[in-house]
Amino acid sequence: MLYINCPHCGLRSQNEFAYGGDATVKRPELNKEISDQEWDNFVYLRKSPRGKHLELWHHISGCRQWIKVERDTSTHEIFKTYKANEAIE
Amino acid sequence: MTMISPLQNIHSEGSYGNFENKTENELLKISELKNLLIVQIVQYKNSSIKINDIKLNNLQFVNEAQKVVANENLRILWNSPNNWLVVSKKKELLSEILKNFNDSDFAVTDLSHSKAIIEIEGPNVKEVLKKGCPFNFNIFSKNMCINSSYNGISFLVDMVEDDPEKARIFSLRSFGESMYHSITDASLEYGYKCI
Repeated sequence: MLYINCPHCGLRSQNEFAYGGDATVKRPELNKEISDQEWDNFVYLRKSPRGKHLELWHHISGCRQWIKVERDTSTHEIFKTYKANEAIE
Repeated sequence: MTMISPLQNIHSEGSYGNFENKTENELLKISELKNLLIVQIVQYKNSSIKINDIKLNNLQFVNEAQKVVANENLRILWNSPNNWLVVSKKKELLSEILKNFNDSDFAVTDLSHSKAIIEIEGPNVKEVLKKGCPFNFNIFSKNMCINSSYNGISFLVDMVEDDPEKARIFSLRSFGESMYHSITDASLEYGYKCI
């Protein structure tokens, strides 16, 4: 079981969280003309790296906030967690 | 409005589990709390009001994780950032809440009828909680509260007293019976008395 340090609540079990996908994906700018391919890439295309990965998690049974988690996908080590609106170093 | 208790079909008085040859003080006491005023207060993101300036029944709101501020009438529980749960036996506090929290800065929602509340008291309260919840209850003390899950059911625990341990367990009304079943099942080992 993973323990995730929620920036709002502190150290909590993974049971309280729901995985929310890649945190590096950026939505295309609002009202900007984009091709179907670009839209398709935004919706479906994801990297599957082995190693450090920035992820979104939802503390669904806790404070119900979205957070960002920097995690190693092969060892599951968690390096750092951030609030959703926090700048990443 | 007719008050229908969420646990009326399942909660019945008596002693259960491993209660024989134990004194009253050694047993867990489980009861249902009814007729509580429960109000959720959420401060909007664009609100510029400082929450520390607001007082309710002489209690100051605090935006600090797991913190409960309380007096004999009222408990203010931290739910999440800018989100609090006000719990009181005094129903008339609702009008004071509505007066203090204007609707351009706060969302005030009366949740009194949407929760099932179990109060558990006795020497093994934390042990019962540990059985179904992954939180480290060794660091849990009086006037702390957490949102977590118990056997997969989302719940909120409010630690009311330390000695003897006394906790209030809030779950969604529709999960009340399942939560009650989980809690009483975990209490069988210690013996419990329903009051």
